[in-house]
Amino acid sequence: MNVIRRLAVVMAILALVLVACGRSNEGGGASGAASLGPAVSSGPVSGDLTVWAMGTEGEKLGLLAKDFMAENPDVRVKVTAVPWDAAHDKITTAIAGNTTPDVSLIGTTWMGEFAKTGALDATPANLDPKSFFEGAFNTSVVNGTSYGVPWYVETRLIYYRTDLAAKAGFTEAPKSWADLMKMAEGMKSKAGAQWGISLQAGGTGSWQTFLPFAWQQGATVIDDQGKFTLDSPEMTKALEYYTSFFKGKLSPTALEPNALEQGFVAGKIGAFVSGPWHIGILKDPKVGGDKITGKWGLMHMPMEKKATSFVGGGDLVVFKDSKNRAAAWKFVEYLSKPEVQVKWFKTVNDLPAVKAAWDDASLKGDENVAKFGDQLNDAQSPPTIATWEQVAAAIDSEVEKATKGTESPADAVKAMQQQATSIGTGS
Amino acid sequence: MSGRAAAAGEGAAEIAARSRWQEALIGWSFAAPFVVLFAIFMAGPVLASLVMAFTDLRISDIRNPLSVDFVGLDNFVQLFGDAKFWTTVINTLYFVVIGIPLTMIAGLAAAVGLNQQIVKFRAVFRVGYYLPVVTSIVAIAVVWRLLLSDESGLINGLLGMLGIHGPDWLNDPVLAMPSLIVMAAWRNLGFQMVIFLAGLQTIPQDLYEAANLDGAGRWAQFRGITLPLLRPTLLFSAVITSIGYLQFFEEPFVMTKGGPLDHTLSVSYYIFNQFGFGNYAYAASMSYVLFVAIVGLTLIQFRLLGRED
Repeated sequence: MNVIRRLAVVMAILALVLVACGRSNEGGGASGAASLGPAVSSGPVSGDLTVWAMGTEGEKLGLLAKDFMAENPDVRVKVTAVPWDAAHDKITTAIAGNTTPDVSLIGTTWMGEFAKTGALDATPANLDPKSFFEGAFNTSVVNGTSYGVPWYVETRLIYYRTDLAAKAGFTEAPKSWADLMKMAEGMKSKAGAQWGISLQAGGTGSWQTFLPFAWQQGATVIDDQGKFTLDSPEMTKALEYYTSFFKGKLSPTALEPNALEQGFVAGKIGAFVSGPWHIGILKDPKVGGDKITGKWGLMHMPMEKKATSFVGGGDLVVFKDSKNRAAAWKFVEYLSKPEVQVKWFKTVNDLPAVKAAWDDASLKGDENVAKFGDQLNDAQSPPTIATWEQVAAAIDSEVEKATKGTESPADAVKAMQQQATSIGTGS
Repeated sequence: MSGRAAAAGEGAAEIAARSRWQEALIGWSFAAPFVVLFAIFMAGPVLASLVMAFTDLRISDIRNPLSVDFVGLDNFVQLFGDAKFWTTVINTLYFVVIGIPLTMIAGLAAAVGLNQQIVKFRAVFRVGYYLPVVTSIVAIAVVWRLLLSDESGLINGLLGMLGIHGPDWLNDPVLAMPSLIVMAAWRNLGFQMVIFLAGLQTIPQDLYEAANLDGAGRWAQFRGITLPLLRPTLLFSAVITSIGYLQFFEEPFVMTKGGPLDHTLSVSYYIFNQFGFGNYAYAASMSYVLFVAIVGLTLIQFRLLGRED
């Protein structure tokens, strides 16, 4: 008897839980121009603000926060530095536990999943989407609504040894796919480089090197209806081009840590694809410095149908649970001012996401930095779907199979498409 | 008379029942702190994860986790149709089937050696073999990457002296897993050795003396005395090692990131990745499959190595 009664109680509780569960139906996302949320008051603000930022940004953001507090004496901004490695988990936990900060820096590729949780506040109309680089602003747009603004950006260019390129017959940077291939071949056959160009052969993040080539060929990752388009003929062509560097032994299939920089300085590697941080690394006397001064340069992505590169960086978001929405967005607005963006560039070398900031002499005057600014006008970001990280990992592993020759490019893109479709967009 | 006696009997039973209740109450109240902590921090999460395995919980549901749908066995159906999952199963089995015997034999050899011949520096050797067990995996990874590195590696340097061009151990799809197996065996043999040493010391010395008198050689003694008497210890160490090895994760995490071409991606690593992607329900269902596999393997070991008198 007793047992049966207890069982009945358990069943009743379970039934209650089951009834309480179940999703409410969600509406589909609208397409077209990004919609913004209602404007926040632009009057004076007050109260406390908690801001999370990662890496160097987290360490130095206090400087800008001080300036902001000087302008808005009633606001107290508290900056918490979070290590990048722990950031994703920490934000996830905060959302689950309703303990989010007011403002946070977020990696651009995380926008899709965090926006999907419903924890992010839509960007108010006070901020002008057009003042940012288009590719960068798109990282904040999920299902047609913007949930934040880009704070800083990075894009990829090709670093190359100008002296080796000259020996290979290129006194000017190659501008097309065919010429890039020719330069890599020439660097190997005529200039004594072991590798013409280093492209990422696989592993985490290799999609960031591969997708620009796909975009240059006119391929897309996903269409307007939210269907993946990874197995298009353009994608196959792009992967064929990409893998031909490995087939021709122009690119290494495996590089040990630090071997890239050392190889480049020693003239063993003729070129590589990377972001702005490599300027500093190559100028560091411990790595390159005087040894290669005047012997390297940056080139715009090569032109096929387009000359598109990848844009990443960090976005600033405000959480819905913020008790101080007006002040939070005002702080974001402040960080997006051209002069503040320039100051930030001078402080931590982060490239400004705001176009007007690039008129400043400190950016325009630096030849290398200006090249990145130039490329930013033709840079694309991956789709902001909630499952992007997982789709990207599938692309990474198929790229690896293709570059290592265990699978043909045509089969690899088919496998990408099949995996991406089974993963879905998370909506 | 009989009525009073019955009443008295009832009274005694009542008192006994009450004192039993009291006893139980006191007992439970003493155990309460543990029971409460266990329920909240152990049983609760375990139950939650079990329920989770039958839902479609994803990272986007974390704000209201109760609003997920129950999907029955969908996660498991998807899992058994997931080609990558089967790759990780094969990788894990490869690691377990080669790794466990290798580690146990190495540990046993070290223990037998230390138990007999070497007396003078026994403590030094014991510490030496045990050191990798207590060293951080990160430090071990740094050292082993130096050993296994393609161009600047110590192993390939030695091979080079012999005129052999060594392979790129960790980036070679065929050699990456054996490299990790050897590294894991090296790392864990110290623990085995300590367990085996303790086991060896329980074997009475006079058995060996008697065997000696009968003219049994070293190998015959080892097979006839040491191994049979070491059976409980062998069982223990096999179970502990296989529980650890089935959850094979740290080595590929720090050394290969599961590559090249997923050849060192283990089941645990795949669960970790899925959790990272925010597929909480799917990761939970996979964890329970792994759990069942561990229980199964443990039962098999009890059957094979357990007492059969």
